[in-house]
Amino acid sequence: MDNKTFIIAGIIVALLIGAVAVFLASGDPDGLESTALVVQGQKTITGDTPADAEIHEETAGRFSYSSPMPDYSLGESLGSAGGLVAILVGTLLAFLVVLGLAYGLKIAGKPTK
Amino acid sequence: MHIPDAFIPISQGIVYWIIALVFVALALRWARNELSEDKLPLVAVLAAGIFALQSFNLPVAMGTSGHLVGGALAAIVLGSPFAAIFILTMVLVVQGIMFGDGGITTMGANIINMGVVGGFVGFYSFKGLMKVTKSMAFSVFIAAWLACLIPALACAVEMYLAGTFPLNVGLIAMGLYHAVIGVIEAIVTVAAINLITNVRPDLMDTGARTAAGA
Repeated sequence: MDNKTFIIAGIIVALLIGAVAVFLASGDPDGLESTALVVQGQKTITGDTPADAEIHEETAGRFSYSSPMPDYSLGESLGSAGGLVAILVGTLLAFLVVLGLAYGLKIAGKPTK
Repeated sequence: MHIPDAFIPISQGIVYWIIALVFVALALRWARNELSEDKLPLVAVLAAGIFALQSFNLPVAMGTSGHLVGGALAAIVLGSPFAAIFILTMVLVVQGIMFGDGGITTMGANIINMGVVGGFVGFYSFKGLMKVTKSMAFSVFIAAWLACLIPALACAVEMYLAGTFPLNVGLIAMGLYHAVIGVIEAIVTVAAINLITNVRPDLMDTGARTAAGA
């Protein structure tokens, strides 16, 4: 498999994983959030997460930032379509940022060698 | 285990950022000096794959979900813990800035946990196990599991220092959840490495593999 095929195949696999994730990903909190709920007495360690459980976040004196696509979504109204766009953008961006930076470092590193 | 801004005071976040930047600088130097040009596509494809895998929250029972981290995968495939730091840092930057997954002031802590701790634990446990057992699949499996569990425990300690979790509950809950998530991480990492090895054996850079007769 040459480089071009490998890149295309790799990106397709990544996008497929991301697309499946939009529809099948679990809505339960992740390990860190789940632990926060346990600490705050909203769930037991091995118990289910109640539907109304909400993490109390310390905001006083903490930095806060609003991202353009919070929670890999473009808002409720766009639903799964928005989720797919978010994953597409994110996956391609991760690819391009790393590729660009790696090439940039290689080019910048050359004269010193 | 992406720590949001609200979970760590800014002052502590800055300390983690400073430590993280030292490792990021080393990772950039690794990319410049050690990364051969023909492997650049692999690095970028791995970044895309790890981003996608991290977006997939899998149910792990106990009212909890978890996703892969990918630190062991990157470090083993590219043969250096700095590969994990390089890729995970960029993935975390994209996640934090574009999707609010993981905070900005806490990004340093996230880079330390998933990139630095995950990369070093994944790479060196793989190397050690490979030497002793000579089994690629077994070594990858355990290394990937540890590279999910140990960063979670590091995260629990940071949460304790931040006053967000008590130490006991934090370690037990984070450890338990990520011990389960780690099994999925391990299975997928073994599968991904098998796939890459079959498709492009030339791209794999594990000293151990070459010794095994690649």
